[in-house]
Amino acid sequence: MRPVSRLATVGLGIYFWAFVTFLFIPLVVLVIFSVNKSTIPALPLSGFTTHWFRQAFSNGELTTALVRSVVIALVAAVLATAFGIMASLGLLALRGRTLSLALAVLLLPLVVPYICLAVGLLILVQEVSAQPTLVAVVLGHSVIALPFAILVILPRLRSLDPAMNEAALDLGASGFAALRYITLPLLTPALVSSAIICFVTSFDEFAIASFLAPSGQPTYPIFLYASARTPALLPEVIAIGAIIIAGSLLLVVLAEGGRRWAERRLVGANASPAGELAGPDGEAAEPMFATAGPS
Amino acid sequence: MTDTMAAQGQKQGKGHISLVSLTKHFGQLAAVDSIDLEIPSGGFFSLLGPSGCGKTTTLRLIAGFEQPTSGRVLLDGRDMAKTPPSKRPVNTVFQSYALFPHLRVFDNVAFGLRRAHVPRDEVRRRVGEALELVQLSDLAARKPGQLSGGQQQRVALARALVLRPAVLLLDEPLGALDAKLRRQLQVELKQLQTHVGITFVYVTHDQEEALTMSDRIAVINHGRVEQAASPRDLYEEPANAFVADFLGISNLMDASAVGPSGDATEVRLANGIAMDVRRGDITRRGAVKVVIRPERIIVEAADVTGPNRIPGMVTNVVYLGSGIQLAVHLASGDTVTALVPNSDDSTASAWSPGLAVTCQLPANALRVLGDGVTANQQHSGAVT
Repeated sequence: MRPVSRLATVGLGIYFWAFVTFLFIPLVVLVIFSVNKSTIPALPLSGFTTHWFRQAFSNGELTTALVRSVVIALVAAVLATAFGIMASLGLLALRGRTLSLALAVLLLPLVVPYICLAVGLLILVQEVSAQPTLVAVVLGHSVIALPFAILVILPRLRSLDPAMNEAALDLGASGFAALRYITLPLLTPALVSSAIICFVTSFDEFAIASFLAPSGQPTYPIFLYASARTPALLPEVIAIGAIIIAGSLLLVVLAEGGRRWAERRLVGANASPAGELAGPDGEAAEPMFATAGPS
Repeated sequence: MTDTMAAQGQKQGKGHISLVSLTKHFGQLAAVDSIDLEIPSGGFFSLLGPSGCGKTTTLRLIAGFEQPTSGRVLLDGRDMAKTPPSKRPVNTVFQSYALFPHLRVFDNVAFGLRRAHVPRDEVRRRVGEALELVQLSDLAARKPGQLSGGQQQRVALARALVLRPAVLLLDEPLGALDAKLRRQLQVELKQLQTHVGITFVYVTHDQEEALTMSDRIAVINHGRVEQAASPRDLYEEPANAFVADFLGISNLMDASAVGPSGDATEVRLANGIAMDVRRGDITRRGAVKVVIRPERIIVEAADVTGPNRIPGMVTNVVYLGSGIQLAVHLASGDTVTALVPNSDDSTASAWSPGLAVTCQLPANALRVLGDGVTANQQHSGAVT
């Protein structure tokens, strides 16, 4: 044990649990009120019901908005990850000041307020098509998700042995074949992580969607924001919130499971580190090549 | 089975590489500095030099991973400048092996054949042959992560050889293995090369490894070829001080060459001690460097006199088992290393620091070195 005083241990414990409570209590409260009978989310609790869930799903506008958001997030996730791969491959070839500059430009959406991006995109969209469209929302979301894709993919790409790509070329692969058969499969875990992060980024984005989504086609966060001001709809909104929390948990579990599965597939089942297997004694016993031996 | 691969290589008689004024700059630094080199077909050729000397860059220029700043790489007379790595009849065994971790051993070896759209049956047959050649048939279904370092190295060899290249390039392929396995592999790699009969170009910084395996060695330093010769010639007739020094312990002494006496020249060491020298550049005059191998110095009792003898005092004794290595401070001011055979029981204990001796430096063991060396050695800079 490290020499930590009893007081510090207790203090750290209190801090830890306070932190966890602060993080999770809003979620717990949401789930509790999603099954509360009362139409107003206030204590005391008035009994258990699944009524709000049924009512939420029978609300066509609400479910349409939810599906709309999922589709937008899926497309944006795929686009951002695809651009993330390309950007990372490009960045890999850069060094020094050029690299810093290119990276700074690509990661800019991280620090620019979404509201500014949204206004800029709106002006652009009006120049091109006059009408706000969901396509514009998808593009906007791809832009803000791209930095996350790069931040996930580039480190993984950097960790690959550059000789791997050269080996593929050396063995007669075209640049594309090397990417297709070697680099991309090795990037799989990062691509899965990237897609999930980009999906989530798009799914709960409000500012860009509120500027660019056509008035009759709200995304889920926009619908939620509007509904939250209508007291009658509030219980349904809470119910959907609870479902999304459950969905997020499932997504995290699936993502981690998927990542482990992909990693395992890459190196082979129950592989042990090469160092453990590398025993010179066992190998020296037999000749290494068929040509060796008494001649 | 494996004989088809051997026949292929020998029948073609291909794989002759010519490097013509080959130069590669990285920024200001000349990693490869106007190298002219002939690599004959079907031989085991080593590029030997300290780290950063440009040997790996030379290999990468042959493979096509780097484009020369100037000069040419010719393979069987054809200029390779416009040929990308994927189209060169040259394959590489990488220092890191660069096996594809997500593919089974079989698929690693089959990778090149599949890119060349070889029919499925032939892929299976040739991969089988290649794995048999390196004795890995049992492990075809494993992933590289499940193999030991030595096994991974063999997969890398099989993967490169299965394409029947005209030239196999090897970049310190034994560097990551332990000493015992490495010595075993040196012998077997040489046997493999003789068997398949294709040109091996082998990069190493280990002089013993190069001497063990090679038919010919090019010693490279600061991007230039210091000397290209057979192992025997390099060791016995080093062209300059760098080669002499790099190929093992050698005793370098400053001297002044004064003139011929028949088929020898006379040099004066510091303090004016005269020595006859028969080997090397005996036409040179003035300041020269002379060199002698430790095993060629004859250490005698202090009272022995005669030509080419010089008194000295033992300053250090190292027991090596098969021999005894002495450091002797000579009357000329030079300290030389001498290797005395451990021929009988009495000799082992006879040497001790402080002992006065006479060293005989036989005229036919002393060598006057060529020049362009001392200046070279003072440069520094690192490129791999």
